[in-house]
Amino acid sequence: MTKRSKRILAVASGGGHWVQLLRLRPAFEGFEVTYVSRDPSSSQDVPDARYFTIGDASRSQKLAFLVVILQAFWILLRTRPAIIITTGAAPGLVTLALGKTLFGAKTIWIDSIANVEKLSGSGGLAAKFADLRLTQWPDLADDSVEHWGAVL
Amino acid sequence: MIFVTVGSAFPFDRLIQSMDNWAHEAGRGDDCLAQIGRGRYKPAHMKWHETLGHTHLSDTMQKAKLVVAHAGMGSVITAMQHVTPIVLMPRRFEAGEHTTDHQMATARWLEGKPGVFIAWDENDLAAQIKAAEGWAGSDAGLDPFASKDFTDRLNAQLTHWSEG
Repeated sequence: MTKRSKRILAVASGGGHWVQLLRLRPAFEGFEVTYVSRDPSSSQDVPDARYFTIGDASRSQKLAFLVVILQAFWILLRTRPAIIITTGAAPGLVTLALGKTLFGAKTIWIDSIANVEKLSGSGGLAAKFADLRLTQWPDLADDSVEHWGAVL
Repeated sequence: MIFVTVGSAFPFDRLIQSMDNWAHEAGRGDDCLAQIGRGRYKPAHMKWHETLGHTHLSDTMQKAKLVVAHAGMGSVITAMQHVTPIVLMPRRFEAGEHTTDHQMATARWLEGKPGVFIAWDENDLAAQIKAAEGWAGSDAGLDPFASKDFTDRLNAQLTHWSEG
């Protein structure tokens, strides 16, 4: 296994969150990336990488949300990443929170480009757990959320 | 073929039912394939699936001459990468179609982009489909990756942390 400092966990819910994460792949050059998303068949988008599935609960679905927490914990135990990066949504937030507090990982939250007028709810909560928070919209940047660019 | 898709996170019966009606009235039912997610309305005139697996979805996107979708970024980016015109109808929060109204803002942002046509509601669908089917296309698909400036800066940050 690659030494821990070079291991990244890249997490995204299905659909647009996953498509946006895939567009960031050149950023992971030189690292060993494990991907996490909702659909088992999404592993075909990253055939050379390790891949785990995670549920897709929103923050209001209590039981499903608990399952997501357990899955995230299990994935973190298995992969022990030094860095976690997510494009949302709630499952990415859970993984960031556990990874930061229990595993001491460095963490990046990238808010979806779909959040044009205000940061997502999960993106707001990510302030507590993210070493770096990025918005894809310059107008939404402030003291705690930076704008480095967009996936489109 | 027209591919109608609403993603898999939430149902979007208003779009599926409107497209089913359109397909019937336009006599285009055989030409439409719908992905309806967990929607309650089952199309009577279009072929449909709840979800499409990865391979089936790629094939369908490849073959589609037009995509009609909710204003979700997965559908939009995928259509742009295939240079396929797309008609978007945003989900509305007050209709219980999403957890927030962000698809309205997404649609306002995307309106007027090449190959993107916005149907603000179901009454506007037929006109936007007509406009989209007349779109002349563009030479190249969207690059598969984000801008190099952005990914380089992210890579530098990751490298800084891994060596720090």
